Amino acid sequence: MNTYRLIISSPDGNAFDGQASFLSLRGANGDLAIMAGHIPFITSVLSCDCKVIFEDDTEKTGHTDGGLLTVDSDKVTLLSGSFKWNE
Amino acid sequence: MGADIKKLRSRIKSVDSTLHLTKAMGLVASSKIRRANDAMNKSREYARSVTEAVDMLTSCSECAKSPYMKQSGGDRICLVVVAGDRGLAGGYNANIFRLVREYDASLIIGVGKRACDRFGSKLILAEDFSYDDAMSLSKELCSRFASGEFDKVGIVCTKYVSMMSQEAQIKWILPLVKNENAARQSVVFEPDEMTILNTAIFEYVAATLVGAVRESFASEVAARRFAMDSAGKNAQQMLDDLHLSYNRARQGAITQEITEIVAGSDA
Repeated sequence: MNTYRLIISSPDGNAFDGQASFLSLRGANGDLAIMAGHIPFITSVLSCDCKVIFEDDTEKTGHTDGGLLTVDSDKVTLLSGSFKWNE
Repeated sequence: MGADIKKLRSRIKSVDSTLHLTKAMGLVASSKIRRANDAMNKSREYARSVTEAVDMLTSCSECAKSPYMKQSGGDRICLVVVAGDRGLAGGYNANIFRLVREYDASLIIGVGKRACDRFGSKLILAEDFSYDDAMSLSKELCSRFASGEFDKVGIVCTKYVSMMSQEAQIKWILPLVKNENAARQSVVFEPDEMTILNTAIFEYVAATLVGAVRESFASEVAARRFAMDSAGKNAQQMLDDLHLSYNRARQGAITQEITEIVAGSDA
């Protein structure tokens, strides 16, 4: 599966910076998912659980208190005031 | 002579305890430096990413109508002043307060015990300043700015240049200024530019506040270590001089005593 660089950034450091193939979360207009090749995009993110599928096909969920999602041609950045991976 | 020796002995004791104090404070500052620098670098990265996103939003013409971009041209200023929680950090706190005096602020909110005491605001410690503190302060500042209570909102903080050098500075956070150099590309905004900006502004102000407080705290710790190093050196120099004077006085007293004994036996 095609991958892209995903950065999950918070004031306490990056919770993740690496390759991923899928990210789903709750945007301002509802649930959305980002896959490789997505057009440049910006939306505000609501407090929700996010699902990430990594390049080795493993998946993990984490909780964000809300923030901002920016999709560039080469990377996807989730800026969140607080982000914690679920156990 | 005897009184001189007693006085010198008590001064040596006092300078020695000062030396111990400066050494202890220097060691505490050294142990905090790495943690403070790590926290500063992490929050800097986050603040830079949020600023890039906000720059992209402000470069859109639709965002010009946002209340956070309104340039009223008035002079009602609100300042968030970030100073230290403690003293004995060289000119760190004094430089901040000197810069604050240059502005005629209508409201000053202090962060750090020294600033809170000086400006009579609610106590917020710089060392324990969390993102939640920043977010609640950000919401207050943004809503008061949007309601027209202030024309400008700024942060007076310290820029960490290096371990040896820190500079007091002012960062204007509101109103937002359109960045002409922002990367322009066709981007899809959901739901629209203005709504995202009006939501992202809280994140932006909070990220800038957290970045400024953590950078200031790293500067405070570095300034304190430097100040304690110099104070320790000065105390050691003073101690050496006092020991020399003490030994001279003691030797003088012994010589005088011998002279008196010899004179007594001759008589």
